[in-house]
Amino acid sequence: MSERYSSFEPGGRRWLWQRVTAAFLVVVLAFHFFLLHFVHHADEVTFAMSAGRMETLSYYSLMVLFLLTATFHGVNGVYNALVNTGLSGRQRTAVKWTLVVASVVLIVQGIRTANAWAGISLV
Amino acid sequence: MSTQLPQEPETESEPETDAETGSQQARRMREKAERRERTRTEETPDLSDEETRVIKVFRYDPEVPEKQEPRFDEFHVPFEKGTTVLDALIYARDTYDSSLTFRHSCRQAVCGSDALFINGSQRLGCQTQLGDLDEPVRVEPLPHQDVVKDLVVDMDHFYEQMHAVDPFFDPDETPADPMVEQSQTRANREKIKTSTRCIWCGACMSSCNVAAGNNDYLGPAAINKAYRFAMDEREGSEKKRERLEIIERENGVWRCQTQFSCTNVCPKDIPLTEHIQALKREAVKENLKFW
Amino acid sequence: MSQSYNRGLVEDFGRWREFSAGMWAWVFHKFTGWVLVGYLFTHIAVLSTALSGPAAYTGTIRTLEGLLVVRVLEVGLLAVAVFHILNGCRLLLVDLGVGLERQDVSFYASLILTGAIVVASVPTFLAGVSL
Ligand code: HEM
Ligand code: SF4
Ligand code: FES
Repeated sequence: MSERYSSFEPGGRRWLWQRVTAAFLVVVLAFHFFLLHFVHHADEVTFAMSAGRMETLSYYSLMVLFLLTATFHGVNGVYNALVNTGLSGRQRTAVKWTLVVASVVLIVQGIRTANAWAGISLV
Repeated sequence: MSTQLPQEPETESEPETDAETGSQQARRMREKAERRERTRTEETPDLSDEETRVIKVFRYDPEVPEKQEPRFDEFHVPFEKGTTVLDALIYARDTYDSSLTFRHSCRQAVCGSDALFINGSQRLGCQTQLGDLDEPVRVEPLPHQDVVKDLVVDMDHFYEQMHAVDPFFDPDETPADPMVEQSQTRANREKIKTSTRCIWCGACMSSCNVAAGNNDYLGPAAINKAYRFAMDEREGSEKKRERLEIIERENGVWRCQTQFSCTNVCPKDIPLTEHIQALKREAVKENLKFW
Repeated sequence: MSQSYNRGLVEDFGRWREFSAGMWAWVFHKFTGWVLVGYLFTHIAVLSTALSGPAAYTGTIRTLEGLLVVRVLEVGLLAVAVFHILNGCRLLLVDLGVGLERQDVSFYASLILTGAIVVASVPTFLAGVSL
């Protein structure tokens, strides 16, 4: 009977990380919304204000961590939803790597932006 | 849990002797013959002086040309307090159309053969009071299973999933003396109590949106079976590990999206989602131990 | 069995009228989750105009935030995010095996709270935008 299940990858790790990131995101996403819509207002955004925040190491690292967890949580959620529909084989591998590449691009772009504000230049 | 109204006193107090059962059988045969006679003599029985209900029943039979196109047939059935959907179906079959096909056996929510899709929800025909439903009562075969004929669906896949979790008791060691009970603590009994009630009706699997889209998903009933043994303290440790390996594969517990559909329809009120979630945590705990 | 009849999709989303609380919670959570990832990608794309210099960034954001549509969409985003957070907490409790008998109540509570928070935030979200 066991051979009916082709994949031995226990989904448990992804399941657990989805919950762990969720618990983290509750706090950070609420903070993010609050800070950028209630403390500061949408019509007063300027480069200088964003830069001012990003220059603080704690804010910068929080935002990078936010980006990493949100990307993992969101993309893993999408992947999971597709696995639920029984996606398998080549199609699945293709979807998986597309999502991985998209996440990497997103994270790189996000960090470059944060660096621009923080005044960090790598290259 | 019996769902039928209590029998009339005289039947209840009757001693269950062979002779009695024989006469009951004879009485039923006689009644059946009378009904058949009635159907033959008058086209439809006269129900005008009785309270009746209308049921709309799904019909399909690939082997009969007129029934290859699925349709609904309407039947008027007598109604009194306590009439179940199964009673109505039996009446319809015996009175109007002997080709009406459905499974049933115990008529008391024990055998699990008459799970049907009644007014948009998975229920046991024998456990569902006609009086609780809006008219006309739509009776369909279980969704997400192939229809073989009328209300009969192919249960093979469901049984395969049930067997996939090795649904049997397998302790590490059995007492040397075969007369010694293998008892479990009260607390442990409480923990698995509800999970032992499954009657393999398939209602839960049919209601599950994930199982519908992904045939490899074990489904609620099979996972509940795994819970029943994995959480039993008498289960052998090796077997428990094997069982957890089965349910923590990709198409095991992780596919459950906690929609609660299975828990809502289970005729034996098994808290399926709760058991699935408990196994997810158990699997995570086991894995954390190995890290 | 020589043949069988497959009833197709009618039995899934064709039955949406019969969905129960848990099912609706799942549908909404899925929808809001997808909107949020979609937004995450858009968000980073818009923010990365900062790479082309302060003026480009401030200009882009000011233009966008000056549009009523964008502000209304932001209210929508808030609704989506708040529901996802609240129902996400509900799901975390469900995962911990807490209050499973009351999961329908907690779903309705998530909905109502989302509505209340969104309504209360509309003034702030639309502040400073001209029609
Ligand atoms: C803020 C707190 C958040 C919480 C508490 C939360 C919670 C959750 C949980 C528990 C799940 C798993 C549902 C399941 O698999 O049964 C989930 C799914 C998901 N989340 Fe979140 N989430 C949060 C934020 C976000 C953010 C910021 C995004 C977008 C980047 C996001 C995108 C998704 C997606 C796409 C899914 C999968 C939806 C599906 O089933 O198709 N979530 N969320
Ligand atoms: S768990 Fe409940 S609904 Fe599922 S097969 Fe068993 S008795 Fe039927
Ligand atoms: S006839 Fe046995 S469960 Fe209904």
